[in-house]
Amino acid sequence: MKDEKIDLSYVRRKIDQLDNNMLQLLQKRMEVARISAVFKDPDKIDDPKRESEVVKALTDRENALLKGEFIESLYSLIFKESKRIQRETTTLAAFQGEHGAYSESACRLWNPNFAPMPCEEFADIFRGVESGIYDYGVIPVENTLGGMVGQVNGLMLFSDVFVVGAIKLPIHHCLLATPGTDYRSIRRVYSHPQALSQCREYLRRQNFEPMRYYDTAGAAKMLSKENPASSAAIAGKLAASYYNLEIIQEDIEDLDTNQTRFLIIAKEPTRGDGNKCSICFCTDDRAGALFKVLQIFADKNINLTRIDSVPEHPGEFAFFLDFDGNLKDPNIQEVLSRVEDVSANYRFLGCYEERSAL
Amino acid sequence: MKNLKLAAKSAKEGKTVVEVGDVRIGDEFVVIAGPCSVESEQQVLESAIAVKEAGAKVLRGGAFKPRTSPYAFQGLGLKGLKFLKKAGNEVGLPIITEVIDPRDVSWVCEYADIVQIGARNMQNFSLLQEVGKAGKPVLLKRGMYSTIAEWLNCAEYILAEGNPNVILCERGIRTFETYTRNTLDLSAIPSVKEVSHLPIVVDPSHATGKLSLVEPMSLAAVAAGADGLIIEVHANPCEALCDGAQSLDGPGIKQLIEKVNKLNAAYKAL
Repeated sequence: MKDEKIDLSYVRRKIDQLDNNMLQLLQKRMEVARISAVFKDPDKIDDPKRESEVVKALTDRENALLKGEFIESLYSLIFKESKRIQRETTTLAAFQGEHGAYSESACRLWNPNFAPMPCEEFADIFRGVESGIYDYGVIPVENTLGGMVGQVNGLMLFSDVFVVGAIKLPIHHCLLATPGTDYRSIRRVYSHPQALSQCREYLRRQNFEPMRYYDTAGAAKMLSKENPASSAAIAGKLAASYYNLEIIQEDIEDLDTNQTRFLIIAKEPTRGDGNKCSICFCTDDRAGALFKVLQIFADKNINLTRIDSVPEHPGEFAFFLDFDGNLKDPNIQEVLSRVEDVSANYRFLGCYEERSAL
Repeated sequence: MKNLKLAAKSAKEGKTVVEVGDVRIGDEFVVIAGPCSVESEQQVLESAIAVKEAGAKVLRGGAFKPRTSPYAFQGLGLKGLKFLKKAGNEVGLPIITEVIDPRDVSWVCEYADIVQIGARNMQNFSLLQEVGKAGKPVLLKRGMYSTIAEWLNCAEYILAEGNPNVILCERGIRTFETYTRNTLDLSAIPSVKEVSHLPIVVDPSHATGKLSLVEPMSLAAVAAGADGLIIEVHANPCEALCDGAQSLDGPGIKQLIEKVNKLNAAYKAL
């Protein structure tokens, strides 16, 4: 906040920002508490000794403004809520990125009762779901403008998780800035390179300098924390509310056909209800090997909705296939057993419901 | 008028027709209507519904207001523009709004279908160049103290930037008369048509400042050959934050457009 007069409205903006930061920390605090439940005996969630140690360490830091009694009563509230969270064991769904990411929007749409848990890497989601820390993982697989999310298929290949759902989410980018920013002063815009490229025309019209950042929501987070001069970020609406940013303009993407398809993964497969199936398999390195597999689907008039390939070893490819259908359908069962015969390393990834939020 | 390379009648074959969505200004008679200022989401939507129902083709509304006093309501700015766009989308009308600051041109163009240069900014040459570059249709109001030649030179500024879509708007000039807010110069309509190919519309609301005079002067503008009208409409004129005294209400604009249409038909049959 440069060149700004210190007055009540300045102080209030500062307070809003701090409150927002505190809420983010509390969110993180509760997320960590919830994860600790995975490692605890359900009967031993109450641990008065540990609590008093924590409070002691914190109240030692009391001063004229931050009194020991206040710290104590604040933490008794935090402990109470944190224990409730550990006992209730809300369903956890991991996503990659910072809070406010499009993956989190997809997760909330899939099931508003799930607690979205941010992970730094896609690999953390797979590991977390395999080890049972997270109940579900929400992972983007393809974007209409950006193509397939390569990493994800590679991880899927070497994991034993199942696909239990899919959701298509329209991606609408917003221009965000810290509250009180004069929109005329905006010069630089931070976001993930893919989001920047999806708004290229817009950035050109407004003569903004695109600034590459690791993540859309991460750019929003950085903006709210550091508030660099003359800057804005491109991210989703959810990021605006999460980081207390003002939406300067909505729907700034160049094409309104921008959508991402997310898969929901879990340790156990569904009971076989749904309208979609996913498989993966390898083929021999020879002419017509993939064609032979696809021919089986074509013969039975089954609509394929995705084919992705990832290199498994040098010269060897694994294929991912999504198609319309239900596993209980004898037709589908027959097709799948024939595919298993003609391919190698065949794995059925799941039969699930695909939803569209379009 | 010898400096006019692009605005002059001789520069182009036929009349300029400015296309905004399905609306063809310069070809069909177009009524632009809406509130002087965007005051709230609700107010602009109510006005939009009223003007759409009355048969207006473009929704007007001010978000950035040039006011005589710095203490008067200055408009809602970008927020007002979003309300106006939303209302326009809701009822299916393109929108026109004024831009008063060169720094706002790119922002206004994100929302507006036509940008308006107000009378007070007619000779703000850097603003004219900026809207010329932006490429959106421009409605250029005549300055209250400007000659037709000065006005057309300002249109030339916009045309010279490569933007052919200029609509002129006569909104009254300053004379010694005080009964009306300005004196509507109806002779400007056929005069402009003699020397230029650009379409010209008339703003009887600002020209007269009197509700009772809006309808007669609208009809006079039709008879003088105007290509359209720009009329202030407020769903509740007595609650308006700006220019309520000259705003028509819903039934008022409906009646006006009915009469204008009848006169236009009769005029064509002459």
